[in-house]
Amino acid sequence: MATTPRSGGASGTGTAQRPNGTSQNKSCQFKLVLLGESAVGKSSLVLRFVKGQFHEYQESTIGAAFLTQTICIEDTVVKFEIWDTAGQERYHSLAPMYYRGAQAAIVVYDIQNQDSFQRAKTWVKELHKQASPNIVIALAGNKADLSNIRVVEFDEAKQYAEENGLLFMETSAKTGMNVNDIFLAIAKKLPKNDGANNQGTSIRPTGTETNRPTNNCCK
Amino acid sequence: MSTAARPPSLRLGQQDLKCRMGCGFYGTPQNDGLCSKCYREKFHDKQRKLKQKAGETGPGPSSASLDRRSPQHGHNHGKTEQQQVRKEDLSGTLQKKKFTAVLQKTLQAGAQKITQQRGHVPDPTEDQFLLQLRQLRIPDDGKRKLKLEIQRLDTEIRKYMNGNGGKNINELSDLVQNAYTKVSDTVHNDPSFEIATNEDRDSAIDFFEKVVMTQNHKFLFSPYFTTDEDSDVKVQKRIRKLSWITAKHLDCSIDEVNSEARDLVYNAISELVGIDSYYSPQEKLQCTWRCCRHIFELLKRATGGPASADDFLPALIFVVLKANPVRLHSNINFVTRFTNAARVMSGESGYYFTNLCSAIAFIENLNGESLGISSEEFEALMSGQQAYSTPWESALLACESLHLISENMKRMEELQKRNALISSRITSFEMELIDFQREVTERVDTVIAKAPLNLLPIKTPAFLIGQARAHLLNESEAGHYQANVLSGGGGTLTSQSLTAVGGLAKPSIAPEDAGLSLKDTSMVSMGRLSPLQQNIQPADNLFASPIFNYTAFDSVSLLEEPSSSDVLMLGSEFHGGLTNINYDFDLSDQSGENSTADDSKLNLDEFDPLAQKGPVNQPPSALPETSLLDSTTDSLIDSEVPGTAVLLPSPLKPEVANYRGFSNFDIPSISCNTGDFSSLGQDGAEPPK
Repeated sequence: MATTPRSGGASGTGTAQRPNGTSQNKSCQFKLVLLGESAVGKSSLVLRFVKGQFHEYQESTIGAAFLTQTICIEDTVVKFEIWDTAGQERYHSLAPMYYRGAQAAIVVYDIQNQDSFQRAKTWVKELHKQASPNIVIALAGNKADLSNIRVVEFDEAKQYAEENGLLFMETSAKTGMNVNDIFLAIAKKLPKNDGANNQGTSIRPTGTETNRPTNNCCK
Repeated sequence: MSTAARPPSLRLGQQDLKCRMGCGFYGTPQNDGLCSKCYREKFHDKQRKLKQKAGETGPGPSSASLDRRSPQHGHNHGKTEQQQVRKEDLSGTLQKKKFTAVLQKTLQAGAQKITQQRGHVPDPTEDQFLLQLRQLRIPDDGKRKLKLEIQRLDTEIRKYMNGNGGKNINELSDLVQNAYTKVSDTVHNDPSFEIATNEDRDSAIDFFEKVVMTQNHKFLFSPYFTTDEDSDVKVQKRIRKLSWITAKHLDCSIDEVNSEARDLVYNAISELVGIDSYYSPQEKLQCTWRCCRHIFELLKRATGGPASADDFLPALIFVVLKANPVRLHSNINFVTRFTNAARVMSGESGYYFTNLCSAIAFIENLNGESLGISSEEFEALMSGQQAYSTPWESALLACESLHLISENMKRMEELQKRNALISSRITSFEMELIDFQREVTERVDTVIAKAPLNLLPIKTPAFLIGQARAHLLNESEAGHYQANVLSGGGGTLTSQSLTAVGGLAKPSIAPEDAGLSLKDTSMVSMGRLSPLQQNIQPADNLFASPIFNYTAFDSVSLLEEPSSSDVLMLGSEFHGGLTNINYDFDLSDQSGENSTADDSKLNLDEFDPLAQKGPVNQPPSALPETSLLDSTTDSLIDSEVPGTAVLLPSPLKPEVANYRGFSNFDIPSISCNTGDFSSLGQDGAEPPK
């Protein structure tokens, strides 16, 4: 699993358009949005996935709000572009801007916090209603290392996830439990043949030519 | 922000803005309150009708388009300037409201300059672009194709702008976006680009976008048929009204007073304001990227780790509020409409741009609740009824003293807190001290109670007392005792006793002289050499036997442990003491009862005047003689008796040393004092009673 931190700037965005013509392996890029109340450990989860760190940060890590990570599944190189969102209630209404055009979303809650689970449910509802229809949603019960003082039962969350067609795992950014697994599960569930098409449609819902010819598989 | 480029899903909290056609989507004011789809349909119908009409009248409009271009341009320009004048008026009226009118004016002046420059942009930049095109690492064939594509889009845009039909910004946006897709398709699949690397292809696409956008910036940036400028003014006014918002309201970790943090915020602000000064969407995005990087840097210092979106978004909102960038909506819309769609949808720049859009949306919709204050307070602050003061505001006003006051006030608050803390700690410390004191006294008391301090009388070994008594008893046999009794008896009797004692003593001299010839000679030599001679001489005059005197002294020293000073003192006392015998015996007698020098002094005072009575007549005449004799004899003795001369390096020392020498000569050590006593005893035994 290679870490590919973005060089940033225009060159960074430019690579998003590179076609996969030269390589044999398929390569896809997916936009993944993190949703969840503040302090449930969204950014810790991502930092664990991307940098393998918890609490000890490298100097180079300037922010945990936007991170990228590339993983390989079978013959496909999947590049995740992870967009963090502000979890505070007052910024709730801004979230659609972030999950617009996202192929995947992880809704995070804290197993010690019933409120965060309820918030997670509203996120899921909202995603179903407003995000692109084939978005892959995963529900992550974070802070699983503190399961002895849990409030949200595993079975309760599991049942909810099954009812709503979500991926579900209890994770721990602290111990690293299930962190890579949940991203891998998402990557497996994502359609890898032409992932870029979804991206194009959702940004310009007004356009008549929504199926603009985009021959490259990943954008 | 409020254009149809955004999907309807963004219209949260504006439930009343649904499409007039009732399709369930939201409408926008730009589209006559219709949703974009309904508007498009309606618009297409209109256009079709227009085209039909045009077909009937012939190709008139297209030929006229060229002529109309410049007035069109002028009209556009004129409107922009008109808007800016209005803006300036607004800022003028709001000057009272203390927001950064000066800053705004300068910024607007800058913006105006840019607008003026825009008139003659193409010529120098076109050359530059041609140079850049030549530098692109793509085949010449590709370059030619790229240039062709650029020219084609250029003409298309101008044609659309100069067309007299109804204009819709979304149509224009689609036109540009389609061109982008086409170019991207060409670059990636055309055989003329085959040998180029992916990076070069990307830079070719970037170049295409940059050139077209820079050249057509004047048409595409806030076109006259959009409401961009109105929203610019609206948001600018709103931000100005919201100038009372502090970092605390936003739950943001920026320390407004920290100068280092403020510098970083200023960096972010200058980047944000700088967005307006770039032509191409890429450059605007890069500017946003730089601004956000500054914010992350700032947050990293404030929180100690990489900042998450929870920290970042409030900080960005704070920066936007404090920067109040000009033509905010125009810039945002320009980027959303005319940059390659993927750019704002993905990538780091896209993420930051999304955050900027969110920040603006938040600012436009915020209320008391979203700032954590009551709606009444919010209203009061918005209307300017409630006064406010923030260190940030004063800093922005560039009024250093006001800024200092605010800063000092904050510092004072801190100091006050600290002061309160200190005083509370002082009281607690005081309490502790009292406790400590009590504890110590308690402990001491308990210890004292356990082990009381009893001052026991000094125990003198019984055998010593016995010995001393025995000696004293011996002495009393020798008639001294009587003298002592006499002195103790009364002052009146002393003179009689003195004479009596003198009478008693004198007869005893003769035999003693003969018996102790050796002692005598040594005594004489010593007396001559030492300053004590004067003491000794009168003693000689009075008493024949010096030993007699010294025994008394020795008896004192036995019990008093004489130091050198004591000896000296005694030496001086000797002068008076020698005049009468009583004194000596007094001391020796009292020694048994731990007598002190004071006692002896008392005795001395008692007897001095009486003692002087007798000798005063005699010694004055005798003293000069002896002193003269001494001076002559000194030298003589020096030569005669080298042994004694060696013992006298200084004339003062011998006083003691010689004296000791004498006693040493007679009795070698202290233990021999008993020997002295024994000699005394002999002496005492010798004089007849």
